Amino acid sequence: MSNEVLKVDADLSAVKEIQSVGGDTVKKCYQCATCSSVCPLSPDEAPFPRKQMILAQWGFRDRLISDPSVWLCHQCGDCTKYCPRNARPGDVLASLRLLVTKELVPFKFMHTFYSHLWGLPILILIALAFILPVMFLAFKGVPDLTNPISFPYNPEINYKIAFMELPARVVMIDLLFLPLAAFVVIIIANAVSKMWNMYLDYYKVPVAYRYGFATVIKNYLGPAIREILAHSRFEKCGANSWRANPHKMLLYAFIILFITTGTVFVLADILGMHTPWNPFTHPVKWLGNIGGILLLYGVISLITGRNKAVLENSLRTAYPDAFLLWLILFVGITGFLIEIARIVPVFYNYVGFVYIAHIICVFLLFLAIPYSKFSHLIYRTTAVVFDLYYKDILKKQGS
Amino acid sequence: MGSSTILVVGGGISGITAAIEAAEMETEVILVEKEPTLGGRVGQLRYYFPKLCPPTCGLEINYKRIKANPHLTIYTMTDVLDINGEPGNYRVKLRKRPRYVNENCTACGECEKVCEGEVVSEYDFGLGKRKAIYLPSPMAFPLRYVLDKNALASGDLERITSACKYNAIDPDMKEEVFEVEVGAIIWATGWKLYDASKLDNLGYGKFANVITNMQMERMASPWGPTGGNIIRPSDGTTPQRVAFVQCAGSRDENHLPYCSYICCLASLKHSLYLAEKSPDTESLIFYIDIRTPGRYEKFLRRAQNEAKINFIKGKVAKIEEDPETKDLIVTAEDTISGKKVNERVNMVVLAMGMQPSIAGENIPGLPVDEYGFVRENEGIIPVGCAKKPLDVMTSNETATGAVIKALQIIKRA
Repeated sequence: MSNEVLKVDADLSAVKEIQSVGGDTVKKCYQCATCSSVCPLSPDEAPFPRKQMILAQWGFRDRLISDPSVWLCHQCGDCTKYCPRNARPGDVLASLRLLVTKELVPFKFMHTFYSHLWGLPILILIALAFILPVMFLAFKGVPDLTNPISFPYNPEINYKIAFMELPARVVMIDLLFLPLAAFVVIIIANAVSKMWNMYLDYYKVPVAYRYGFATVIKNYLGPAIREILAHSRFEKCGANSWRANPHKMLLYAFIILFITTGTVFVLADILGMHTPWNPFTHPVKWLGNIGGILLLYGVISLITGRNKAVLENSLRTAYPDAFLLWLILFVGITGFLIEIARIVPVFYNYVGFVYIAHIICVFLLFLAIPYSKFSHLIYRTTAVVFDLYYKDILKKQGS
Repeated sequence: MGSSTILVVGGGISGITAAIEAAEMETEVILVEKEPTLGGRVGQLRYYFPKLCPPTCGLEINYKRIKANPHLTIYTMTDVLDINGEPGNYRVKLRKRPRYVNENCTACGECEKVCEGEVVSEYDFGLGKRKAIYLPSPMAFPLRYVLDKNALASGDLERITSACKYNAIDPDMKEEVFEVEVGAIIWATGWKLYDASKLDNLGYGKFANVITNMQMERMASPWGPTGGNIIRPSDGTTPQRVAFVQCAGSRDENHLPYCSYICCLASLKHSLYLAEKSPDTESLIFYIDIRTPGRYEKFLRRAQNEAKINFIKGKVAKIEEDPETKDLIVTAEDTISGKKVNERVNMVVLAMGMQPSIAGENIPGLPVDEYGFVRENEGIIPVGCAKKPLDVMTSNETATGAVIKALQIIKRA
């Protein structure tokens, strides 16, 4: 090793990218490794984040994409609190996750729009560029947004597709979100597969232990999901242990809202029991409202908690962090506003506008899965699955 | 016409050196020391750099020179309240605290024998106790006892007074505040150890066997609280495996952002202390970078040869105690292997950094930087560790250099 000539190509563009999305302190690190020792999540065999800090200083994209540690970090902030150089490893690792997120997917410009404030109007325009044509198509022309009978609750335009009878707004939603969901699923599935193979190579997993997709899902996804639902890693955090609970609530909110949406899809689109339903009497509405309240509670607690942590210097909120939180907040607020506008007569005429706003927010949230911090939903899960898998095969190799 | 007297503040190795060098040029010198004895930090050490001499070696020669010199006035238990004036003409207000023991004292020690009041010894960094009447150091200069009225037990004063055959106890002494006129000031107040309890992840004050490097020096000193035995505070046994935590408080923006210069050398020296007692004792030095400036690189090689040292590149950031054995589990990432190590050791020595003694104090007229190090300012010349973190040899070089500057200032004024 000592006689080997090692050629190192620093990638300055990667360093600059890291610095532009919340990792501007990366160069302050002097590799003392305090961070790896104070981190409550860092394992003995492959400690982080000290190593990732030096990889980031050199801009080694490939090594960072191949390293599950980047995702096993939950940004507790203990490292940041104890860092003798104020290099903020916790915040730098958050920026590395953004870098990896970008590396793994096509149409990288979308990621750039998600990572900077100047991209926000562009994102809204992109959303509208999809939403408006679909709306005009479904409503057979330009509806009157100030009149709820014209939009979205037009009783006259209905579509008969096979046995289903769909109102215009349902056709609009389906035309928008089914292709969007398919797009997101395809690029994420592709990214996860790429990521998994890189992990296998990075850890030099012997071919004999490289299980197929089904085996991995069967053996490790269940335990990983149980762990994620319990937030057992998150709860080990020292400096920012307050985050575990609101984050868990937010996750539960998303699960409840996902179930609600699925139920609505089956009941309304397929079985023809069309909305709007009475929020006071309908059990699916109850479920949706509970999910919505939980979502608002979680996201507001995270926003206020983060503001406090910023004052204590254990955590920093970079634009991509703030953007995701506020986007989720707006999804929740606009969702409830539709409900309120529908019930309260004075607001009734504004339903159309709120409806569009809500669809923009949801559209951007869907697209945020591959292109923003929201990707951790998938990639951290993948890393946790890999972590459980790798520990298991180490045990098997040992025995 | 200015004053041709030089004031030296601080009676440690730098201050003593400066005062003597100036006084031997037949300049009038006033040497002021806050503690009841001269000697400073060097007096507390087992050995000091560069040649690992015992402190008696350097200090006694200087004390002899002091005694032979008619130009030197020494005030112990005295601190500086404020400084007015300009180069050549300073008026410095001094406060002398009462010693309650007069010059009749012969340091016979009879008073100490009958004294019952005891307090934790600051001189030994809490490792031992001292009586209410005590000799501030085995090599005290002046060789006189001090009475700490706050530590007296009831009846002590009567017992002490009657035990003293020389009529040396004077409980009516008063604090004195007075002014001196001087032409130049050499500032040599030295350093203090950074507060180890501020490092809340390293267990100091919480785990008995986590000690500081200065506590190590006191234990190793033959005149120290353990008579030179390096033992575990928890049970008095001799440690077989000792971890040294480098950069404890230094090079850390949450504590002291600068390098304290001596801590790496001190830990190497401590490994030699351990090897001197028992060659099998293992030292684990956890470091970021081993800093052995200049020719001290040779000392690193010597320590590597003479002591059983295991160097681990990675800063310790977590220490846990085994409640049964009071052993400590020290966690660091070995950055060379890229894996974490959890080493069980019998004792941990925190290589604490140095802070200027006057950090946190505000002495009007004294220019200091953000950390409390004294800035050179025309007639005020900082030396030794009051100026920046230094070893003894370099401190003395700054002290002798300061004397020529001080003489120039006086001459010009």
